[in-house]
Amino acid sequence: MHIPDGFLDGKTAAASAVLAAGGLAVALRQVHRHLPRERVPLLGLSAAFVFAAQMLNFPVAGGTSGHLIGSVLTAVLLGPSAAVIVITSVLVVQCFLFADGGVLALGANIFLMAIVSNLSGYAVYRLVHGWSHSVRSTVLAAAFAGWCGTVLAAICCAGQLALSGTVPWTTAFPAMTGVHMLIGLGEGLITGLVIAVIARARPDLLDQPAAGNLTPVLGYGLLLALGLAIFVAPFASPWPDGLEKVAATLGFEHRAVAEPVLPAPLPDYEMPGIQSAVAATAVAGAVGTFIVFGLAAILARVLVPKSR
Amino acid sequence: MIEVRNLSYRYPDGKEALRDISFKVADGECIGLIGPNGAGKSTLLLHLNGILPERLASDPAVFVGGQPITEANLPEIRRQVGLLFQDADDQLFCPTVLEDVAFGPSQFGLDGDRARQALAAVGLAGFEERVTPHLSRGEKRRVCLAGVLACDPKVLVLDEPTTDLDPRGKRELKDLLKRIPATKIIASHDLELVVELCGRSILIDRGTVVADGETIELLNNELLMLEHGLERPHILMHQHPHRRVPFLA
Amino acid sequence: MRADFLDRHSRGTSPIHQLPAGGKLAGAVLIVVTVVLTQWPVWLGVAGLLIGVAALSRVPVGFLVKRLLWFEPVVLGMAILSLWQPGGVEKFTTLVCRSTLCVFTMILLANTTPFSRLLHVVQQLRVPAIFVTTLALLYRYLFVLVDEAERMQRARQARTYRRTRWTVLATVIGQLFVRSTERAERIYAAMCARGWK
Repeated sequence: MHIPDGFLDGKTAAASAVLAAGGLAVALRQVHRHLPRERVPLLGLSAAFVFAAQMLNFPVAGGTSGHLIGSVLTAVLLGPSAAVIVITSVLVVQCFLFADGGVLALGANIFLMAIVSNLSGYAVYRLVHGWSHSVRSTVLAAAFAGWCGTVLAAICCAGQLALSGTVPWTTAFPAMTGVHMLIGLGEGLITGLVIAVIARARPDLLDQPAAGNLTPVLGYGLLLALGLAIFVAPFASPWPDGLEKVAATLGFEHRAVAEPVLPAPLPDYEMPGIQSAVAATAVAGAVGTFIVFGLAAILARVLVPKSR
Repeated sequence: MIEVRNLSYRYPDGKEALRDISFKVADGECIGLIGPNGAGKSTLLLHLNGILPERLASDPAVFVGGQPITEANLPEIRRQVGLLFQDADDQLFCPTVLEDVAFGPSQFGLDGDRARQALAAVGLAGFEERVTPHLSRGEKRRVCLAGVLACDPKVLVLDEPTTDLDPRGKRELKDLLKRIPATKIIASHDLELVVELCGRSILIDRGTVVADGETIELLNNELLMLEHGLERPHILMHQHPHRRVPFLA
Repeated sequence: MRADFLDRHSRGTSPIHQLPAGGKLAGAVLIVVTVVLTQWPVWLGVAGLLIGVAALSRVPVGFLVKRLLWFEPVVLGMAILSLWQPGGVEKFTTLVCRSTLCVFTMILLANTTPFSRLLHVVQQLRVPAIFVTTLALLYRYLFVLVDEAERMQRARQARTYRRTRWTVLATVIGQLFVRSTERAERIYAAMCARGWK
């Protein structure tokens, strides 16, 4: 999901770059304080590992192939702060060595993959993993988090494209989210499988305390919230929220307001059926989340025998 | 030059790696360190410039030039004892050749020109701007050696210097090593290399010193060799056991 | 995979290769900014400039075209989304041209400037040391790991009869991480041995 140059306008690129820089600053501070010296080379090797893993393709239906993104995997293995630096390095090298992902869009790409995907995925991972500390729950949490991180980054990406005026939200959101709900399945599956492999080969590697253990929840949370507020919130409500509805019924609302799913009032600047596609995607996303959680649980059950 | 006194070491997981190892190496001597896989050779070498143990003990077991290795003189010890690692890819961690060779001198605050001189000394002048991953294995090994030589060490500690080299690479490396006057400790399965370079050898097995003596004598002791997973090298096969290999004399 | 797969031509001897890396980097960013901010008459000029640079750099044309085509699916895939709006066709064309020019600029930069030089520029810009170290190690060990992964994949496939490529892939990736951490430990030792502070 590397955004090439030319798809983002100045304000979106700048806003993303500022958010990315903020995330990097927090991560660098954290790593400076808490990363033991002997683990410094590990950051470089992990970055090479993520890049190398991204070059290994796996088959997807229809003769196409996909590859691992690795943000959530890195966060689970190294902790979120180290992962921010690792994924950022990967993106920087891909941009300057391979022209993969634009240079003006670098901030946006870092924000999406090193911040949103990584941190939201890690948050989900900790939330789910908090229930129990068995290997099985680690695999479940990692697989589910892999999916969530990917989908959330895609939603943010759709918001960035819409805010830039490149692609209307009503197209970008269903398309990006829809595609990445599928890509996320692969990401989640691979993340879960890899964690299971590592749990079997070197369980000690999974017990590494995340850089400093104490992650700056406040800083990272604020960044994520800001990102969502800037890129997604302006478009997020396909139908009027409570307040707007009240305003509308009271007659204060002069704008034409879209109705929910049902016969959407099709404003002339949109193609038919697209407004409902946004709502449908949102619903599918919500339902999908539950289904994927179930799938992750099944995966964990299959991969990790109970005796362990 | 180097003295090891009753060195014992356990891995962090509790497994015993070295037990009560003692030996001395005189100035300018070239010592072979032989023994089967897992005998503890590499672990022992890592002690010689203070990479192991993770935390230096209060009663040091390794002395360099009469000085015990302590936290305070660690940088100086590491400059004096140059370590050549088994896997060249581990040792060459910089993107270009010159950066890598200059890494040691820059950390030790030595003259920057040393790197170029060291490269020339290993016959790789003109390789300065080459990218490390694009080198052949023989070249990588020589760049490693240059990186160590650039720090002007008094002792060279080499871990399997000839593995994964083709015969010509081996020959070049041997010739190069012969020209270097520093004290050398060479751990290797390449017994022909040991025969050619080292007058004295130490045989290690299961973390202890089994034998310490003249290389030819040690390697001609067929029973001892077989018992410790080694073989009498072909180079000695048709020689009188107590005569030196003629072309080495 | 060949170790120089990514930047085979970055170490040429052409006049373009010999320009200072910092200047080329700034130039490339400037060109990208220009392309993003302007419309097609300017693009013709930029395209001409880029083609001139490409010719001067003596990087094989076939290689450049192949690299460019490599990224075209991504550009097209994203640009296609812009069709669903009034004036979509025009927007689509704009996006494709704009992006292609930018990608071409960066491909030229990457293939006329050794990455180690760019790293020096990054270092001079006072980017935090840990970040520079990470970038340098990433560049240094990428293909060591890619080779390792390919060997493992081949060895695995040689012993599997059914098409279980997902699990093979996961095993390879998992093992690759384990080996990377072990290698990181050895590299740390090698760095310390040469006086890393």
